[in-house]
Order: sequence, then C-alpha cells, then structure tokens
Amino acid sequence: MSDAIPLVLIIVPFFASLLCLLSRSTVCRSFIVIATAAMLAVSSLLLQGPLAPDAGLQWAGLIDPLIIGGDFLLLAIMFVLGCRYRHLLIVLLTLCQLGLLSFLEFFVFVEEQGHALWQVDGLSLTLVRVVCIVGGFICLHAIPYMQAHENHLLPARSRQPRFFAVLLLFLGAMNGLALTNDLAHFYFFFELTTLCSFLLIGHDRSEEATANALTALWMNGAGGLLLLLAVWGLFRQSAQLDMNGLVAAVAGNQAALLPLTLLMAAAFSKSAQLPWQRWLLGAMVAPAPVSALLHSSTMVKAGVYLALRFAPAFAGTLPARGLILAGGFTFVAAAALAISQRNAKKVLAYSTISNLGLIFACAGIGSPAALAAAVLLIIFHAVSKGLLFLCIGTAEQQVKSRDVEVLRGLCARMPLTGMVAVLAALTLVVPPFGMLLGKWLVFEAAADHFLFYLLLVLGSSLTLLFWVRLAGTLLASGELAGFRPEKQPFLSRFPLVALAGGAVLLALTAPLLHNRLLAPLSAQFAAGGSGVLSTAAGSFPLALLFAVAGCAGLLAMIGVSRAMAGRKGAAYLAGANAGLPGHFVGPMNRPVRAVAENSYLVPLFGEERWNLWVNLAAGGLLLFMLGGALWK
Amino acid sequence: MEVMLTAGLSLATLPVAILLGGLLSGIDRRLTARLQSRQGPPLSQPFFDVLKLLAKERVVTNPWQAFAPVTALGSAALALVLFAAQGDLLVILFVHLVGGVFLVLGALASGSPYSQIAGQRELWQMFCCETLLFLIAGGLYLSTGSFRVSGATGLPAPLLFRLPLLFAAFVFALTVKMRKSPFDLAGCQHAHQELVRGVYTEYVGPHLGLLEIAHWLEVVLYLAVGSLFWATGWGMVLLPLAAFLAVIVLDNIAARLTWRWMLGRGWGVAFVLAAVNLFWLKG
Repeated sequence: MSDAIPLVLIIVPFFASLLCLLSRSTVCRSFIVIATAAMLAVSSLLLQGPLAPDAGLQWAGLIDPLIIGGDFLLLAIMFVLGCRYRHLLIVLLTLCQLGLLSFLEFFVFVEEQGHALWQVDGLSLTLVRVVCIVGGFICLHAIPYMQAHENHLLPARSRQPRFFAVLLLFLGAMNGLALTNDLAHFYFFFELTTLCSFLLIGHDRSEEATANALTALWMNGAGGLLLLLAVWGLFRQSAQLDMNGLVAAVAGNQAALLPLTLLMAAAFSKSAQLPWQRWLLGAMVAPAPVSALLHSSTMVKAGVYLALRFAPAFAGTLPARGLILAGGFTFVAAAALAISQRNAKKVLAYSTISNLGLIFACAGIGSPAALAAAVLLIIFHAVSKGLLFLCIGTAEQQVKSRDVEVLRGLCARMPLTGMVAVLAALTLVVPPFGMLLGKWLVFEAAADHFLFYLLLVLGSSLTLLFWVRLAGTLLASGELAGFRPEKQPFLSRFPLVALAGGAVLLALTAPLLHNRLLAPLSAQFAAGGSGVLSTAAGSFPLALLFAVAGCAGLLAMIGVSRAMAGRKGAAYLAGANAGLPGHFVGPMNRPVRAVAENSYLVPLFGEERWNLWVNLAAGGLLLFMLGGALWK
Repeated sequence: MEVMLTAGLSLATLPVAILLGGLLSGIDRRLTARLQSRQGPPLSQPFFDVLKLLAKERVVTNPWQAFAPVTALGSAALALVLFAAQGDLLVILFVHLVGGVFLVLGALASGSPYSQIAGQRELWQMFCCETLLFLIAGGLYLSTGSFRVSGATGLPAPLLFRLPLLFAAFVFALTVKMRKSPFDLAGCQHAHQELVRGVYTEYVGPHLGLLEIAHWLEVVLYLAVGSLFWATGWGMVLLPLAAFLAVIVLDNIAARLTWRWMLGRGWGVAFVLAAVNLFWLKG
C-alpha cells in the first residue's frame, strides 16, 4: 500500500490538472481542486519511510521512457517560448540543454544500473508534506481569490481553468522532485517546475508579467543547464544516477567537487539566492496564491532540498566553506534590502531570499545540528510565510494596494486577516515559535564558523527589525474597537485560520517533529522527551517557554479586556484632540490629521544603492565556490 | 529534588531583582542629581513612583497598550529566571527580545506620531544591543565551549582578560539599554528629547508602571551579563557596578546625539571591536 503512495502523490495532481483544464464550470473545478488538495494532504501523511528498495520498480520500465519523452517535450516548449518572445538567451540555454540531454540520454546514461525508484526519508517526507499541506491550503485559498481576481480584471474568457491546471501540475512536479531517487528524473521535475513558474508568473498577461515570467524562465533555465552539467559530472565519477548511492560514492572524492558545486549553483538559481534574486522579486506581479506557492512552500524549496540532499557529500570542503559564506551573505544582504521596501510583497520576497540563504549556509556547515536546523527552518518558514502571503493577498484585494503605508492600520479594517498577519510575522521572529527554535540551532551550529556567526548575528537582528515594523504598521490604527472579524468567503478564511493554528501548534510539537523526521539525520543530537532540545553547547527549554508564553498571553488578554471596559483615551498630538481619531485642532480651528510614516532609510539600504555591489559580491562568492572546487 | 531546588532558587531571584532594579534606579537619580548640584530624591523614590502608577486608572488608545506591558514584564522576568538557572545565554537573549518587540508593537499601534517615530528608533536601539549581546554570547562560547551561563562560572581567570574589547562593546550596549545620553533617543526619563517620552508616550497608569518594572529587570539582566566578564569573587559585583556608574557619569557629561551617530560611529565601532575580539579568540 505504502509503495504506491509516491506514485499517487505525483499522478493524482497530474490527472486533476488535466481535468481542471477541461472543465469550464467553476463548481466542478472547485470540487476537483478541493478533492485533490484533501487527497494529497492525506496521502502525504500516510506516506511513511523507508520504503523497500524495490518499491515501484515494476513500473520503472514504463516511467523511464515517459520521463525522457517529457524532458524533450519540456525543452521543446521552452524553445518555442523563447522563439515566440524573441528571447535569445532562453533559446540558447534551451538548445544547450537539448544538445547535452540528447548526448547524455543516448550515449552516456545507457550503461546505468537499476536502482531504487523512490527516496522516502526525513528530508523528502518534510518537503512532500510541506508541498501537499501548505500548498493544498494555498490552492483552496486560490479558489475565491481567483474568482475575485477575474471579477476585477474581466478577461474575455476565463483563464481560471489554465491557472488551476498549472497550480496542480506544480504540486505534482514538486512531489516528484522530492520523492525521486533518480537524478535524471529529478532534472525532469526541476524543469517542470521552471515551466510551471513561467506560466503562473505570466498569468495576467500584462507587459510586466510577461517580462518577469521570461526573466524567471531564463534564470531557471540557466539553473537547469547547470544541473544537467552537474549530473553529467557526477555520473562520470561513479557511473550511477541513484541519488542516495551518489552521495555516498562521491563523498571525499576531489574530482566530484566541481559537479557538486555546479549542483549548488543550480540550487542557488532555483532558490533565487543572490545574485539570482531578480526572478523572485519579479514574480510578485503574479496573483497572491502564486507568490505564496512559489515563495513559501514549493519552487524555492526545491533548491534548498537539492543542496541539503547533497550536503553530506560536500561537507568540510573549500566550496562548502564558500557556500556557508554565500548563504550567510544572502541572509544579511537580503534582510538589509528588505528594510528599505515599502512594497509589502517585496518585503516578504526579500525575507524569503534571506531565510533560504540561512538554509543554504546550514547545508554548507553540514553538521547534524545544522541539517536538523535546516529542516526545521524549511517547515516553519513554509507555514508562516505562506500564511503571510495569503494575508497580504487577501488584504490587497480589498485595499487595492500592497504599499505598507496603505496597509497601515489593516487590523482595524480587516481584523481577522490583519491579526493573522501580525501573528504570522511574530511566529517568524519571537520565541517560543518554530523559526526561532530553528535559528537557535543555527546559532549553536554556527559558533565555530567565525565569519558566518557575525553574518548570522547581523542578519537575524535586521530580520527582527523589519518584521516588527511591518507588524506594528498593520496594528497602527489608533482606534479602539472590539474584535469583530470581517466577512469573507469560507475558503478564504479557512486556510488563514488553519495555517495560523498550524504555525503555533507545529512549534509546540517541534521536539516530536525532530525525533520523527531527523533522528536518522542527527544521531548525536539529542532531543529530550521533557520538551527540552539540547546540543553539546546549550539547551532550548521549549515546553517552559510555551508555558510562560501561554500564561503571559492569558494575563495580557485579561489586562486587555479590563482596559477595554475602562475609559478610552486619545493619542497625544501636541495639541487639542479634534474628536476624530488621529486629528488635532489646527489653525483656524480646523482638524488636522497627524501623520507619521515608517522610516525606510532608502538612502542607506535602498536597492539602487546596493544592487550592483550586492550582485558583484554574491557573484564573487559563487566564483569562489567554483574556484575552490578546482583548487587542489 | 535538585531540579526543584534550582527552580525555586531561580524564581526567588525575581523579587530580589525587582528590589535591586528599583534601588539602582534610585541610585541613578540621586547620583545624577548630585552631578547636577541638586539634592535628588530619596533612594526609595522609584518604588513609590511605580506604586502610584500601578494604582492609577487604566486608559488606552489601543488594546495593544494593555497587552504589551504584561508580555514585556513576563519576558524580562523569564529571561532573568533562566539566567539565574544558568541556562543557555542565546535562549535568554531571545526571550529578552520579546519584551522589546511588544513594547514597540504597543507604541506603533497607538497611532501617536511621537510613539511611531520613537518606535522606529527603539527598533534600531534593539538592533544595536542585540547584535552586541549575541557577539558576547559568541565570545562566551569561544572561550568556554558552551553557550550556557554555567560555563562562565568557575573559570580560573576572569573572562575580562580574554574579552576586553567585548566588554567595551557591552558598556555601549548598556548605555543604549539604560536609555542614557548620548543614546537616549527613544524614551529617556528626562526632557532631553523631542519626542515627549518616546515609545512610552501613550502608556499610562498601571501599564507604564509594569513597563517601568520590566525596564528595571532588563537593566539587572544586562548587569548580570556584565558580571559574566568577572564571574569569580567580588569582581562579579564590582565590575558591573563600575560599568553602571560609568554609564551614569557618561550620561551627565555627554550631549544627546542622533540615531545616525549611534548607528554609524557608536554601534559601528563597538561591532568592529567585538568582532576583532572574537577573531583573537578564534586565532
């Protein structure tokens, strides 16, 4: 039974995607999406590793030709797209990949031995569950969102069938990518996510959307080419495509360092690490569910997954040290750039890039504690960030802006969405929530890497700054009203509430998560049963923190209810209050509104000032990694 | 049994810390007054001030102003208890940050432009303190092999000799935390600043009283971190006391500067000093 689940997780979304494409009725499509999301979530929870090594091998004869055919089909589509939009870079990259792929498939991989088809361990299970559950919630949220989106844009013909088809296809591709044990299959799913992201980013067909979709296509196409080169190099070293076998076979092999570094470079482009960040920032033009899916739970996680998968073969080498620095640099630089952003979605995008940098650095460190930290960061980041994107998207549809200053005081206008957004932001920076637990583990793991520790300290302090600022801005209403949730469709509200609950509860169960998922990854790293996570250098009393946070929260709520029952005040505005909230009596006895905006410090942290230097530095670090691989 | 004893002793530090914090605040006011040729209030004045605040009516402009003080006090108290239990310094610093986060959230939520601007400044002040304290934690790890507070006690030689530059950085962070000149940018006691009382502007009555106690606890926590630099014998008391007095003297001889200066010259220099010290330990 369990043997068939991986296949179900890939095939079901593919079929559902086809059905979505064919069905023109909204009800029917909604039903398909809901059913698929539910089925994926349940199957991903039912899936347990490890599978028998021969699980699913009876289908291998069928799957291999299908995937090879799919590879060529994908590249052909990309080639046509490149020609149609007259994008020379895409055409060239696709031609290179076509040539290299044909050569590899017909002359090199032929001597490949059979091996296990699936790989179900803590890491892939984590990714699959994140994709299926967080991704599933995002799909549910997309149903009412896209309805409203089209009511606003009014296209001649509804483009929702295609949208949901691509969305589900994306989930299937991500599941395939996480579960496969064959590097050539991995390449296929990698390319499939590239194509899906192109279609989703360009969904609105505006000039900007198309341009940004093409950026995403060429950058990820370059990543695909790097991946293919890496696959070739690795195959030359150990004559196999078995990912598990490869990691064991090439560890400590000096000649395999270059392909491994190319692999990391490919992962960088997929995860939009500096200097590849442009495609992710551009992806913001897409509807909110796309941003949520691309940024939090799927696309960008593919890159870190690849890096973590091959981290054990990489640890301790010179390029691995480069990877730590490159990840740490991305962590700091993206966080600093986020400070200057007024566009809420761009703040989220930069913070995603920044957090992924941290995960890459963990992959570079490669110690058990670091890998455990990376997996915890993947989980908690996906939940909280997906939630924030959904909140900002929901708010954007009402407020018609994603400017932070326009969203100011959102909690008064849309109490539920606003409060969930504040909660999600807090779960990213405040203990006892999960991200902080992950960050604590990174600190413990980083202490021996002096330069990275400095970057880590800087980056996490900057992160705290812009999240608290964003949360405070959403709260800033200066009005005193009870909490009355706004009206919104059930399918909009349910994912928000469920993910918010998940962000809190998952953190509570972190020790359990750790034992279930990571025990094989990190044998030396002990999680106590008593709610304390311990390493050699410290301990995190999770249960105690939760208990105190719960008590303090309860007391604070009692304080709030008592204060709300008492006399209401008005803010001090250095003048007589004019009765209206935030207004004072100005000249001629007219009410004047007191306005204060956030300081974004654009001259100090602005993109225009730093983009060139940041890209140069990040590019330099990538070159350092590649050079380090060649250094004898 | 031993666990219960540790927990009980750690909890018992809380009332002591509150008394100590209030007393330090009294010393601060008295000393400052003497430096300015004034008589100054009695040492117990801060306690009467806080008691009076606690007895006042609750008035808020936004519910978060009632939420923030309790969480701020809770986080400062928990951080101190964890310190007394000789826990992980990283966790202690994370927990202590929660108080600052909610203080700023309450200020930003109030809708007052003074609180808004001071909230942003307070975030930068938190940034300054946070980075330096985490570097001190790094120094603790590099010299004792552990992030636990217990690692610093029972060392043969005081850590100060291995971490002199980090101690300088610590004094900078203490100045910022105590809201003293030249870094009294976001909510100082005196009428030095243009933002009324900065982040505290809209907190009144019992809410302000709780925040005052939370601030006492935070100062005590910082001094406790300072005591790690000389964790044997009397040095444990004298070194942080010296730092405390130095900050008060500095407050009275320094002019108030802008946040740009604080970040650029102040924090920049302190961060470099701290990093250099860590580099020595590494090399």
